[in-house]
Amino acid sequence: MGLEATPASTRRAPRRRPGAPRSLVIASTAVLLFLLLWQAAPPLGLVNGNYTSQPTLIFLAAVEVFRGDQLGHHTWISFSEFFLGFALAFAVSIPLGLLLGVSRTARYLLDPPLMALYIAPSLILLPIMIIWLGIGIASKIAVVFLGVIFPIIVNTMAGMHEADANLVRAARSFGAGPVDIFLRILIPGALPSILLGIRLGVGRGVLGVVVGELYVSQAGLGYQMTTYGSSMRIDRLLVYVLIISFFGYALTSFVRWLEGRVRNWKPA
Amino acid sequence: MNHVDIRELCVEYTKPKSEEMFTAVDRVSLAIPKGEFVTIVGPSGCGKSTLLLAVAGLIPVARGAALVDGRPVTGPGRDRAMVFQEPSLMPWRSVLGNVRFGLEMQRWSDGDLDTRALQFIDMVGLRDFADYHPHQLSGGMRQRVNIARALAVDPEVLLMDEPFGALDAQTREIMGNELLYIWERDRKTALFVTHDIEEAILLGDQVVVMGVNPGHIKEVLKIDLPRPRRPEIVDSEQFIHYRRTLRNHLADDLASMQLVRRDG
Amino acid sequence: MIARWFQRHQALILGTSSLIGIVGVWQALASLGVTNPFFVSSPALIADEFVVQLRNGTAAANLGASLYCFFLALGMATVVGVGLGLVSGWFRDFESALDPFIWFKYSAPTVAFYPLFIALLGYGAPTIIAIAFLFALTPIYANTLSGIKNVDRDLVRAAISFGARRIDVFFKVALPASVPIIVAGLRLGVGRALTGVVVAELFGATAGLGYSIAYYAQMFQTTPMMVSIVIVVLLGVILTQLLAFLEAKTDAWRREPTLR
Repeated sequence: MGLEATPASTRRAPRRRPGAPRSLVIASTAVLLFLLLWQAAPPLGLVNGNYTSQPTLIFLAAVEVFRGDQLGHHTWISFSEFFLGFALAFAVSIPLGLLLGVSRTARYLLDPPLMALYIAPSLILLPIMIIWLGIGIASKIAVVFLGVIFPIIVNTMAGMHEADANLVRAARSFGAGPVDIFLRILIPGALPSILLGIRLGVGRGVLGVVVGELYVSQAGLGYQMTTYGSSMRIDRLLVYVLIISFFGYALTSFVRWLEGRVRNWKPA
Repeated sequence: MNHVDIRELCVEYTKPKSEEMFTAVDRVSLAIPKGEFVTIVGPSGCGKSTLLLAVAGLIPVARGAALVDGRPVTGPGRDRAMVFQEPSLMPWRSVLGNVRFGLEMQRWSDGDLDTRALQFIDMVGLRDFADYHPHQLSGGMRQRVNIARALAVDPEVLLMDEPFGALDAQTREIMGNELLYIWERDRKTALFVTHDIEEAILLGDQVVVMGVNPGHIKEVLKIDLPRPRRPEIVDSEQFIHYRRTLRNHLADDLASMQLVRRDG
Repeated sequence: MIARWFQRHQALILGTSSLIGIVGVWQALASLGVTNPFFVSSPALIADEFVVQLRNGTAAANLGASLYCFFLALGMATVVGVGLGLVSGWFRDFESALDPFIWFKYSAPTVAFYPLFIALLGYGAPTIIAIAFLFALTPIYANTLSGIKNVDRDLVRAAISFGARRIDVFFKVALPASVPIIVAGLRLGVGRALTGVVVAELFGATAGLGYSIAYYAQMFQTTPMMVSIVIVVLLGVILTQLLAFLEAKTDAWRREPTLR
């Protein structure tokens, strides 16, 4: 942490940084050690290989999956469920959040029920969605929709509410009307919060797809997971886990990148 | 022997992106007798704060040394206490808790720490606020706590880095006069960095003028005003003369910082 | 005068009235036959059923089972999360070593490991606790880590200038300074732990709120299912509010200055 009080008399020659940064080296070593341990554990009798599989087996399973497991089909199903649910939620929650966020009365009225729904896990409605909408993709889309709207509405409203009063006042002094202020000050100012809401929504959306498909489904990445899980094909299960992790990570990274771009122009 | 002796001090930084070496302080030498209040002025980037941090032992020194009572500075020590521009008070501790902090770190064992802390809280005029927390105090009050904390550990040398820089002009004036009053009691050797010329003259026995590129001492001005210094002294002829002299010394550096083009 | 009182308590009044309003509209729609109670039930039916469940102990049994798993999972997540977070925040190398695993844990769907947990721990409480533990761990660890790493450098420098050693800085500066953000992490952990318990119970349990929701859904018994759903929502709100309250207490020294 660099907290040492370095002696004032230290003669320090300029230090050239050798190759990769220390953190990367340590991280890679840790992962490598972990993989080695994992690979060696079952033959050594430390764990039951049926439950934990091994890196080499997982690699082989990955090859099989990519070659002939209808990966494209299942990915497409899961992706559609996520995308449709997310897009619908986005289309509903952003306008609502923007408009409601401006009115203090609306906020006071809606904060309690919205917060309650935001905190509560939307997945509790999964069983009833299955009953109403069947075991196909419709129920998953609904679950994603429910998971995504609340973080976005709540954070969008918060963003509109947290507008910098000084900016608004300055704009008014130059003659800006309410619409101008809404479009040019409030919305840009709310972007960081909106993006945060979107990132949280993405997390919940992915969770919704996965849990929904694990629960009951006919196709999709989660469907594959549950099939292999029940038949104890842990190697293939883990391949699908990695695939979903990758997508989830890619999506959230993308939103984080957007957040980073936007954060730069917000005053510290 | 001088109380504080700075000999050919050099401080270098590595610039974060380019890995170039940047000299913040270049061969600065300064001799300070015991009990003298030395103020340091200069434009931004002249290394005055860096110099202070080096004497405090908080940053490494590339070449040269700082000595206090003949002993070289190798790190923070009981003989020096620093007052930073930001109060750096622990928000979760009360005023009393904050003033005690230095004593706790230095493991003072004689007597009750609270009693000693209260003494200094009283000295800076905050006796009624001992139980308040920093967020309940104004900027000026927080700096008073900062000063009390430094005085409480009874340092031989007081190091102050633009302590009133973040305050408004009126508070700054008040704090300057209060500091004079408090300092008069023990007359500790002090190094005081400021960008305010008048403050430098009012408080100091010597004013050190530093220049930029790289940080070095341009001039040392001896201030021959009688002590104790009264606030009215700023209107005296002597004071005005000193002010004019200092402004001249700083003129070129100030001119180089101007951006709006002037004709002629 | 009444107007002034209304102004001051605006938030509370509007908030409460909106909740009452929602319940009222819901009931009205059901009573008037606009919505089919079979699909969405109605407040009146739910209230009745709630009393029935209270009487025959179902509500208590479900709530108890879920809370048991919830508290154990949250407790473990707090101990492990705060512990690891403190160590990671203080020793950069440890953080670097742990980082890739945390990334993975953050991206991978914990629920996917459900079959594994069943195989290892069987159906019932241990699996549910394990899953909820993993759910809650992330925000608690992340916040603790962030708190320690991002301690105000000025405070650290001031402490060192008074002769503080590394261990002094940890216990007397970093740790107290991090308390608010750690508590905020706990608040997030509460929501996650509840989600973890309920979701895990959906899949296979013999008691608990999630289990009852799934059970009644399959039986097409909307009203008892809604009772459990309402309990889950209330639970989430109450627990989060409790922690928000704790947050406010520990955050007291961060409020705006009161003297000028």
